[in-house]
Amino acid sequence: MKADQTLDCKGLSCPMPIIKLSKTIKKMKSGEVLEMLGTDPGSKADLPAWCNKTGNIFEGMEEEGGVQKFYIKKK
Amino acid sequence: MFKEGHSRELFDKLFRKGWPMWVGGMLLAFINVLLFAIKYPWGASAGYVNIGQNLFNSLGLEGFDATAISLHAVAMLNIFIILGAFASSLWSKEFGIRIPPVGELIKGLLGGILMGIGATVGIGCTTGGFFSGVAALSGGALFLTIGLLIGTFVALKYLLWEMEVFPKFSMGKAYSFLVGTGKNSGWQRWLGWIVVAFTLFLFSRYTNSGSITTKVVGWHIFLGLILGIILQRSRFCIVRAFREPFMTGESEAPVAVILSLLIALIGFTIIKYFGIGNIAEIATRAIEMKSVYANFWLRGMIGGFVFGLGMTIAGGCAVGTLWRAGEGHVKLWMAVVGFVIMAPMSKKFIVPFVVRILPESLQRKMYLPDVLGYTGSVVLILVILFLWYLFAKWNEKTGKFSAL
Repeated sequence: MKADQTLDCKGLSCPMPIIKLSKTIKKMKSGEVLEMLGTDPGSKADLPAWCNKTGNIFEGMEEEGGVQKFYIKKK
Repeated sequence: MFKEGHSRELFDKLFRKGWPMWVGGMLLAFINVLLFAIKYPWGASAGYVNIGQNLFNSLGLEGFDATAISLHAVAMLNIFIILGAFASSLWSKEFGIRIPPVGELIKGLLGGILMGIGATVGIGCTTGGFFSGVAALSGGALFLTIGLLIGTFVALKYLLWEMEVFPKFSMGKAYSFLVGTGKNSGWQRWLGWIVVAFTLFLFSRYTNSGSITTKVVGWHIFLGLILGIILQRSRFCIVRAFREPFMTGESEAPVAVILSLLIALIGFTIIKYFGIGNIAEIATRAIEMKSVYANFWLRGMIGGFVFGLGMTIAGGCAVGTLWRAGEGHVKLWMAVVGFVIMAPMSKKFIVPFVVRILPESLQRKMYLPDVLGYTGSVVLILVILFLWYLFAKWNEKTGKFSAL
């Protein structure tokens, strides 16, 4: 999936990924896609829930070698 | 291991997807009632203190005499919560040693140190002081809760400020090892079984021995494993219950903790009301006063505040730290280290000072039923839980208090 910006949250645990994600998304334009890299298993549930809550669109997730890639489109 | 069939189906059901946090909350409350029935409601900080004291003792420092770790029920409970979460994360392919940037490691250590101070000053962490304390109808627990809430709020403000002013602090090289995904991770599931087999072996050794003390420790070993599995699968987190309304506004964690408290409240009240005996206590009063500490009210509030700062910076309370450590987050390993080192130090050097300067009226035991009766006390807790629920739900909708 093509992303306009990448946010590296590898190694970080709750709540840092969500705080960083929120800050980054705020600076993006509507319709742009953010790719977030993470390693916290909690993010798999937290990110879709956060998107649901904030109205941003959760575009999906891939996992490779223990690194998750989340795709989020700004509303 | 199980190729197909019902066992495989069951295993996948339990370990492929996470459990809802409220399911975890209900199960944890049930186990907490069992722990009370065996000996004492669930707590964690006494275990950290014991491990630290043994550490200092073995280094030859004086004045840290303590029960051996292997005979300390809470210390063993903590260790087996870590192992339970370890096994559970191996089974669910969520284990991985995750080393965050250096700034995060420092925050883990600092958070642990603050939790070590808070838990000893306030007498109780989020588990023994808050979770068990509120269910045990302790007046001090309510003030500890207020302290936790303020501490969490302040530390969250700090985290947001740090992100604006020093974003580099949480950036940098991060490493992951032994991650449980990919093709060659079959050994991880086997390792999970080995951990469980080892625990069950130890459980039977302890419970087959003659003394009642070792039998009690044996059951803590077994229930620790179960708690670790429940915690890891449901990602049950008390920090989130306090923090989330001010952060994302989600109500999942507060609702899970409220539900859990509700169940523990019923169980604990019955045990206390009837003075249901256990192996050591005979007097009903001694059973009634379990998990009621001399922290009413300012002492609990100060301790709770410091603990709240620590758990929010570390990203896990006393118990949340244990299961995340088992899952392989090195930041939380640092928190364990900070907690273990600081808790006995604080108990020896900071607590006597606090006890001396605070008047006795600000650090006494307060059992709510002594003042309000059983009905009044339970109704008071129910009203508080209901108001908390209404606040969490209302805030989820309006986002009035949420920063993100």
